[in-house]
Amino acid sequence: MADLIQTLERRIDRLRVAVREAVLAGDGTRAKTLRAELREADQAWEAALAEAELNRTEPPGLSRESQVGPDAGDGSSTQSSLLPLREQVYEALSLLQVPAAPRLIATVHEAFFATAFSTTRVTSLRRDEERSFRAAPFTRPYYICSALIADFLSPARALLAVSTWPMESRVIGSLSPRVDFLTAAIRVAEAVERIPGPMPAARRLLWRFAASIPGAAHSSGDVHPPTIRSAAEAELTVHADADSRTRREAAERARRQLSDVEQLFGIRLKPAGRAAGAVDGDA
Amino acid sequence: MSPTEARLARLRGRTPPRRHDARTVAALTVNPACARRALMDAAGVDKQQLAAHTGYPAPFGQSQFAITRGNAFEAQVKDNGAAQLLTLLREILGLDITEAHYTDLNEVGGNQDSELRHVYTKQRLTAAVMGTGTMFDHPLLRLDVAGRYAYLEPDLIAFRHRGTFHIVEIKSFAIVDEQADPAKVAATAVQSAVYVLALRDLLGREDAVHHETILVCPKDFSNHPVVAKVDVRRQLGVLRRQLTRIERIDELLALHSDELTFDLDPGEDQRPRRPPEELANAVRTVNASYTPECLSACELCYLCRDEAQGTSGALGKMVRADLGGIEFTRQALDLARGASPGPDREEVAGLLVEAARLRQEILGET
Repeated sequence: MADLIQTLERRIDRLRVAVREAVLAGDGTRAKTLRAELREADQAWEAALAEAELNRTEPPGLSRESQVGPDAGDGSSTQSSLLPLREQVYEALSLLQVPAAPRLIATVHEAFFATAFSTTRVTSLRRDEERSFRAAPFTRPYYICSALIADFLSPARALLAVSTWPMESRVIGSLSPRVDFLTAAIRVAEAVERIPGPMPAARRLLWRFAASIPGAAHSSGDVHPPTIRSAAEAELTVHADADSRTRREAAERARRQLSDVEQLFGIRLKPAGRAAGAVDGDA
Repeated sequence: MSPTEARLARLRGRTPPRRHDARTVAALTVNPACARRALMDAAGVDKQQLAAHTGYPAPFGQSQFAITRGNAFEAQVKDNGAAQLLTLLREILGLDITEAHYTDLNEVGGNQDSELRHVYTKQRLTAAVMGTGTMFDHPLLRLDVAGRYAYLEPDLIAFRHRGTFHIVEIKSFAIVDEQADPAKVAATAVQSAVYVLALRDLLGREDAVHHETILVCPKDFSNHPVVAKVDVRRQLGVLRRQLTRIERIDELLALHSDELTFDLDPGEDQRPRRPPEELANAVRTVNASYTPECLSACELCYLCRDEAQGTSGALGKMVRADLGGIEFTRQALDLARGASPGPDREEVAGLLVEAARLRQEILGET
């Protein structure tokens, strides 16, 4: 960990010099990119420091429940990468608090944390997490896992969740996509309200939510977080009861029937008899 | 394996079968009289590869760019529990606010087996009539085509409680100024009609599925989706008639030798090794019925057009009907120039001579 912090400090120093040179040379574009990199490095430095602090106070290997905020749970990636992908995904999911598809995760991260990543990498992340969990269960403070389809408790296509979330929010019934969409809209609206100053990317994202919620927005310039929040809450009250019933029932079933690894990554229906040759996923 | 299946497998040879989809079923309605196409489609022959190997590569196929664009647009409207689509459906179908269910039928418990998906689709759609369910993403339907099942996958089925099912097709061609390319809309309408038919088949009730299907397209030059209703009653009529007219595959098989095969003899690297001439001869033993419409619907069109050169049918249905009974254009030209017609062709010969005279007059060639 100390190595990582030192590497980051050296990188920050180098970037500062490069930014100064670019600014003095009048190269605006380069300065902008370098500044972004500098910001990232700074954030990573903070995160690494926080992690180091945590490791001092808490023995590694203990699961920490619903911890929010920057966290470097992957102790093995000690060099080169600034914030590992899983942590960026974790940041975005922690903001949303509901299972989300890679595309939404990437957009949220780009809007609120100013770094973008490719969605294809997110897809393979789930597999890496499963492998890691199978090799050594519960050694990381959290895992990026699958949301489960309520009917079969199989992994929902392309929906990621965080292992520390309660089972109820990780199972998906037929109303859950809508409920989660509305909840995400509320979370994004709250985040936009919390952060001072204009954030064009975040407001654009919020507008996209608002456009699909009745009564949330009237024209494209009109992004008013409290209105969006109350419109989403209004629709949410319509669906909440039915949805939580389904989810509670499925969550109980999951806890009763599934092993630890299955509770995080789901089970897959095996093709029966003659129906061989079917795609049996990547589990 | 039934004898019919065995024969079809022999026809196809060692290449894996290609299944019918809504596009190919829609294309069937373009030319239902074509035995060549019916036989190859029933056997699941890869016509694209066959056409290329015989030296007549097909002029079409979707470009990778179009496919990517189509998928991206579909993903966009279906993102986040089909949020964009739900807003549009609420507008056009007047869905109640409680009707916001989204059921993913792309796979069943992580399994993509067609049979399984079909069974599950049936279960969920029948359950929808009694209880819950609004949007069904990629249900797997099937339709009996020429005695064999074709699996069909509409983009989405929307269900309004106490109402009917609606087929929803998501297409990436734009509706500009409330106008879309008529040819593309027509093609989509036939495809949607195929789905309507298959869904009615599955539910066993005609009135359960609405004849108005819903088309979702990008608006103007943006990525913003718009919806339009498309009435497919006419297409349904045509489709039903053509499907019954497609000759039963057994009767068609009986006309041909047991030895007939369109096997490409693929080598280790999957490249066809069968001599092209031999393959072309096998193809020619089955009658085709070439019309100019084939050019936009069938992979074998260049081969058949080459073969049909000089026949009146190659000029289109209109010409063939007008020339009633005259098979070759050469004969028609001879008759127009005054060659003596046979006993049953006097009437048409008279017309041709008259037509030739008029043409000469107009062109001033007298």
